Amino acid sequence: MAGTGKAHLRDTDDIILRVEDLVMEFPVGRTGLKVNAVSGISFDVRRGETLGLVGESGCGKSTTGKAIMQLPRPTSGSVLFEGVELTTLQGQEMREARTRMQMIFQDPISSLNPRRKVRDIVREPLVIWKRGTTADQLGKVDALLEEVGIDPARAAESQPHQFSGGQCQRISIARSLVLDPTLIICDEPVSALDVSVQAQVLNLLEDLKTKHGLTLIFVAHDLAVVKNISDRVAVMYLGKMCEVAPSDVLFQAPAHHYTAVLKDSIPVPDPEIAVAQVAIEGEPPSPVLPPAGCRFHPRCPAADERCSSEEPQLREIGDGHFVACHHPLVGGEAPVTVRSATDA
Amino acid sequence: MRYALTRIARFVLVFVIVTFLVMLVTRIGSKDPIRDLAGGTVGDAQMDKVRDDFPYVKACSGTFEYIPCVAKQYVFWAKDMVTGNMGVSYLKSQTVFEMFQERAPSTFFLGFWAIIIGLIIAVPIGVYSAYKRDGWLDRILSLGSYVSISMPQLVLAVLLLYGVASRFEFFPNRTNYIAPWENPVEHFKNFFLPSLTLGLGLGAVWSRLLRADMILTLQSDFINLARAKGVKPGRVLWVHALRSSVLSLITSVALQMSGLVSGAVVAEQFFGVPGLGFRLVEAVQTNDILAIQAITAVIVAVVVIVNVGVDLLYSVIDPRIRQMRAMG
Amino acid sequence: MARAPKRPNRFFTIGSILALAWLGSIAVLSILAPVLDSIRDPNKLGPSYSKNYKVGPGWDFWFGSDKLGRDVFSRCIFGAQISLRVALGSIVVGLLVGGFLGLLAGYLRGKVDSAINVLLDVLLSFPALILAILVVGRLDVLAENWTWLTRTWSVTIVLSLLSIAPIARIVRAQTLSLSEREFVLAARSLGASKWRIVGKEILPNLVPAMVSVAFTGVAVLMVAEGGLAFLGYSVKSPTSSWGKLIAENREKFNDGAWWGTTFPALMLFLTVFAFNVIGDRFARRFDIREAAL
Repeated sequence: MAGTGKAHLRDTDDIILRVEDLVMEFPVGRTGLKVNAVSGISFDVRRGETLGLVGESGCGKSTTGKAIMQLPRPTSGSVLFEGVELTTLQGQEMREARTRMQMIFQDPISSLNPRRKVRDIVREPLVIWKRGTTADQLGKVDALLEEVGIDPARAAESQPHQFSGGQCQRISIARSLVLDPTLIICDEPVSALDVSVQAQVLNLLEDLKTKHGLTLIFVAHDLAVVKNISDRVAVMYLGKMCEVAPSDVLFQAPAHHYTAVLKDSIPVPDPEIAVAQVAIEGEPPSPVLPPAGCRFHPRCPAADERCSSEEPQLREIGDGHFVACHHPLVGGEAPVTVRSATDA
Repeated sequence: MRYALTRIARFVLVFVIVTFLVMLVTRIGSKDPIRDLAGGTVGDAQMDKVRDDFPYVKACSGTFEYIPCVAKQYVFWAKDMVTGNMGVSYLKSQTVFEMFQERAPSTFFLGFWAIIIGLIIAVPIGVYSAYKRDGWLDRILSLGSYVSISMPQLVLAVLLLYGVASRFEFFPNRTNYIAPWENPVEHFKNFFLPSLTLGLGLGAVWSRLLRADMILTLQSDFINLARAKGVKPGRVLWVHALRSSVLSLITSVALQMSGLVSGAVVAEQFFGVPGLGFRLVEAVQTNDILAIQAITAVIVAVVVIVNVGVDLLYSVIDPRIRQMRAMG
Repeated sequence: MARAPKRPNRFFTIGSILALAWLGSIAVLSILAPVLDSIRDPNKLGPSYSKNYKVGPGWDFWFGSDKLGRDVFSRCIFGAQISLRVALGSIVVGLLVGGFLGLLAGYLRGKVDSAINVLLDVLLSFPALILAILVVGRLDVLAENWTWLTRTWSVTIVLSLLSIAPIARIVRAQTLSLSEREFVLAARSLGASKWRIVGKEILPNLVPAMVSVAFTGVAVLMVAEGGLAFLGYSVKSPTSSWGKLIAENREKFNDGAWWGTTFPALMLFLTVFAFNVIGDRFARRFDIREAAL
């Protein structure tokens, strides 16, 4: 798996974000080596859609989210947002473009400045962009705080550390909405929260999405979280795309061996069901020296020689269901292609 | 490897800048560097001799020519240094090399014993207070170390010289250099108080450092494991815990080098130790330019080499710390 | 030290209140000294009965008299003025310049960071006291032409120079770790400009650490000034500072005139101690708050 290719990109008018061949590399200290955090992935998001981006830690999903925001700018590739190419924007234009999309971060407490009042934090974007009078701004801030379930009066005089993790995440959400963005990238927004709080925040996100007409990119390592909220799910492994499919299809019939493993690792609250797992061994390989061919082959139960030399391409195996695997669980073997092994 | 080389290159650069700045300082404000070098009020014959010996030393002037002029002299001086010719102090009628032979041992032993005294104080106190953390003895020791840290060396020197040395015949009022292999007792008598002046503050800083580290270590799982395995408490404390806590102590010992030299200047002056610091103060007062340059070059070289050493040591011990240090 | 969970981490403890009280009274006394009648002129030669350390501590001369019959108490108080002025002046310059360099290096990184780091290494690889005597010695020569450049100024300049590098290092490290924090990323994603992020997000979070550094730094600088004064590189006679008083009176210590050295030494120690206590209290409170976040 873990392949490249753009077969899954759609060509309709309502595409709000189109990412092509995104590559993100970081130098390792001063050694001259580099971490291949993201190695050429492509995907698109339709207006009003929720795209789930899953994979285990270190697969590059958060980096992808940040690269869309150009924080930092990707090493190469194209990010087309509302018809504007972001990777070449400079200075003021870039800063303005960023306001149309917003990000919610993993650590709710760290993402709020500890030394400022909560109401000022939420208002900050309006101040930066000088939108409306002070009264307008405060009115909007208070309305949004109310909407996410935070008491505006308390927010006016409290600092972030006086709120719980869940409340801080609500505050982050309010801040991300204040500039009326169209796209929100949620970078593991609930993984630092208690399970009971997770559901509340997820529901809040769903509500707000409908109310404000948002498009969401939802990054998570936990398939169970993504399952319900996403329309489409993209699975990543070691900087590459494995499988893209509508959420229910992916869960009923995962085609990629890695997706199957992820799915089976969702705990089932029934002791009668055996923990039948396609156990995969070991840790993901180092992104500094990724394996050749399919990046998943060292851990894949179905890997053969072809997998270690030829990188699979994403191909359609069902309606809107794409997989990058030579020997997928459903949809049949990949036709043999004559291509160079690693082209990323 | 590449890391080591960039590190070393950077420190060489720092060393060159520092020694060049020192040279610049000896020239700025000197009306006649040749006369300064010759030792002040001397006859024409002597001046000619100095000019002959060091033809590259000259007075610089002009706004734009000043720095290039000094830089030229720096190249000559650096060449001399590399070939082992450290210059002459005409004022003292000795070569700078002889001066080092005479003065360096005192400063070395002063610093050496200061570090030893610091460690003798720090290790037992640090380990014990971490072990019996927040006990009454820990509190007293903490207060004690706090007081010692706040004790200026000057004040401590006053206490030791007048409170101890003058009252007891045992310690001399002025320190003379006696090598430990010639007469260990006399060596101890001469060097104990000045070394204590430097060592007490070091001991206080290090004991606090070690205590903080030990407290963290003692809470970690491998210590609990060792205890659970039935390793004797003493061994857990002094071997397992201490071993993994000494890293920052070692760093601090190394990094205190430059502080030690500063402290040594005061201590040497107070106790009359015939060391380099004492000599340097004299040299600055008379603008004995080659002596100043050589002494500072050697001191800075030691500081810089120790720094490189610590950096490389770290990169061998723990690559993660190497990255952190590269960042911070 | 930073982790002592049992003790309450209030800023005001008996220790810090005493320290503040001591510093306050020293400051008030040294500022008011010129207008207080009961404090003698520190430079006026005393009456003949007090010359050569004749008078010990008592009602007449609180801290005794010195070689020239001057009042050691008033010299201590006026000395405090110099010591405090020099240390406070230098720490302010150090915080401004060092803070600026540290922020620049930590936030901009890259080439700026490397250049600033070399500069800081240069400053740090000099043993402090040696740098100080070299520079003060040279400034003396310049002072022949510039009359405003008294030793007080020279010492302040040198101590400022010394305080820049350690402060810049701390600020840089803090800035580096702060700019990794997600709220800075959030601010960038909101479209905040670089300077707005530095000013609104990073700087306010540096303040507590800076206050703590300022107090501990003043303590270190006072010690350094004492050392310089002792070596004859601080203020010139007849002006006094604590280090200078220790140096000028120490010869007579053994002939019974212990007061000339002991009192300034005690005052120097207590003041340094007080600054350290307050700095430490601040750091402790700050650490706890950081941990709670």
